[in-house]
Amino acid sequence: MSFSFLSLKRATKLGWSNFWRNRSLTIGATLLMMLTLLMIGLSLLISYTVRDTSEIVRSKIGLTIFFRDDSLSDEKINQLSSRISSVGGVDSVEFVSKADALAVFNRLKINEDIKKPLNEQFNPLPRSLEIKLSDVSNIEEVVNGIEQQDREKIICSDCLSYKKNKDVVERLVTGTRLAQQIGWVLSLLFGLIAIFNVSNIIRITINARADELEIMRYVGASNWFVRGPFMVEGVICGLLGTIGASAILLIGAKILTPYWESSQQNSASAIFSFMGVSLDRYLLNNLGMIILIQLAVGVMAGLLVSYLSVRRYLRA
Amino acid sequence: MMVSSADEEKEVIEIGQPKHVSHRPSSSEQPLISLQQVSKTYGRIAALKEVTLNVFAGEFISLVGQSGVGKTTLIKLLTRQESPSSGQVFIASRNLADLSPCEIPLFRRKIGIVFQDFKLLPQKTVWENAAFALEVCGVSDEEIRRRVDKVIDLVGLSRSCRNYPHELSGGERQRVAIARALVHSPRILIADEPTGNLDPVNTWEIIELLQRINGKGTTVIIATHNRQVVDRVNRRVILMKGGKVISDQEGGKYVI
Repeated sequence: MSFSFLSLKRATKLGWSNFWRNRSLTIGATLLMMLTLLMIGLSLLISYTVRDTSEIVRSKIGLTIFFRDDSLSDEKINQLSSRISSVGGVDSVEFVSKADALAVFNRLKINEDIKKPLNEQFNPLPRSLEIKLSDVSNIEEVVNGIEQQDREKIICSDCLSYKKNKDVVERLVTGTRLAQQIGWVLSLLFGLIAIFNVSNIIRITINARADELEIMRYVGASNWFVRGPFMVEGVICGLLGTIGASAILLIGAKILTPYWESSQQNSASAIFSFMGVSLDRYLLNNLGMIILIQLAVGVMAGLLVSYLSVRRYLRA
Repeated sequence: MMVSSADEEKEVIEIGQPKHVSHRPSSSEQPLISLQQVSKTYGRIAALKEVTLNVFAGEFISLVGQSGVGKTTLIKLLTRQESPSSGQVFIASRNLADLSPCEIPLFRRKIGIVFQDFKLLPQKTVWENAAFALEVCGVSDEEIRRRVDKVIDLVGLSRSCRNYPHELSGGERQRVAIARALVHSPRILIADEPTGNLDPVNTWEIIELLQRINGKGTTVIIATHNRQVVDRVNRRVILMKGGKVISDQEGGKYVI
């Protein structure tokens, strides 16, 4: 009975008209909700970006073994290569011949004058083995494994320099984790702020209508009917907040993208171009999830807050 | 404090039974409202002290006494806004203490409540104020129209049903409140100082209206400290003092 369609319709109507009648308060609440959801959206976006970027960077980090001694036969290198591929943690091993190395060198975007002296006759570039790792965090073990496989000691002592890589990897891993944690903590904090503030605003609107609540109870409105309009109001607040926040996020990305991409020095832009997507593209790809989370937070906060605020009036 | 039910019943029969009158029930009839040794304390203050009282269907009760003697507390117990500290309140043989939170709204639809300060919604018209009581209870639009038109007509406000409360006189506002209380066709109408804010002429009109409603079979209970109202109504008068019923008689006068 209390959940009948008619009651739902009336509660919705009442909630909407209350929302509009107290618009100075409820719009304030909505703006606050919007701001909070925007912050949550931004923190989510940052944490997504950091996660995805680090994943790509990690997938690109590998080991390269150079063979400066040109007298070494390709055969021996290939034997080593097949042994290395059996080492745990190694994803793939690729042999780069002198010709391949030259081709890569010629593709580099550097001064053409530097490229000129090098040709097929004069090619000082070393052959190398490019090793991809399944997980960069255990690079040290992989290096140990490779050294054990190098029975003929054809790898010169400083050719397998992973120390620099290792630092990068470690910094990246801890950096990612930290950024993600900060993102989540910020989201949580903003969520709490939203719930707190919106609850205060809704409480004010409820106090302003204490008479109405009292009358509803005297004339025998069920508790759910008394709560209904306020919960509808909370949901409206959450919905509008989500729409506003998502719109700002999208428009912001659209406006910022050109600036971002024009400044080559910008590291964020470098990351995005490195990932092969533009900022707004990236945002669009992840927007569904972000909006969904914003919506869930907004609507849940609105519902919860209204429910708790009215509860006080329903005792006795 | 536990009292065996046999003792309670004996006491109920001995005390508080009006001996004569118009709507006199037959002895076999169950009381519509029955208070059994009801006490209510707020902290250390005793608002009601072991009140035992029976009200039968069709009665018109004037609950009188100075401010602070427990009239409003008694009314709050009847409308289940408060629960007694001890003792029991029965309405239509139902112990109000047994009502679950979900049943309280359903119970309130069976009694109409009217207040001294009207408690109307300022942003709703006369008609909407009366309709509100039915809207919140899930009554269909069609049924609302039918019932509201009827009660508005009954209280004589058909002409001003599109007006807002602030455009009405005090007496008219109280009529709206009464109309709202009546849309559920309650068996009991409870009014707490319904004429407290009204001038003598409006007071008479409201009392007349209440008498008319009582004439149609609704049990009416009014709390008042207006001597003229009580003398004019000339029905059962329950006089309270210090949280106790000190006099209960049919055709009573207001005596302190």
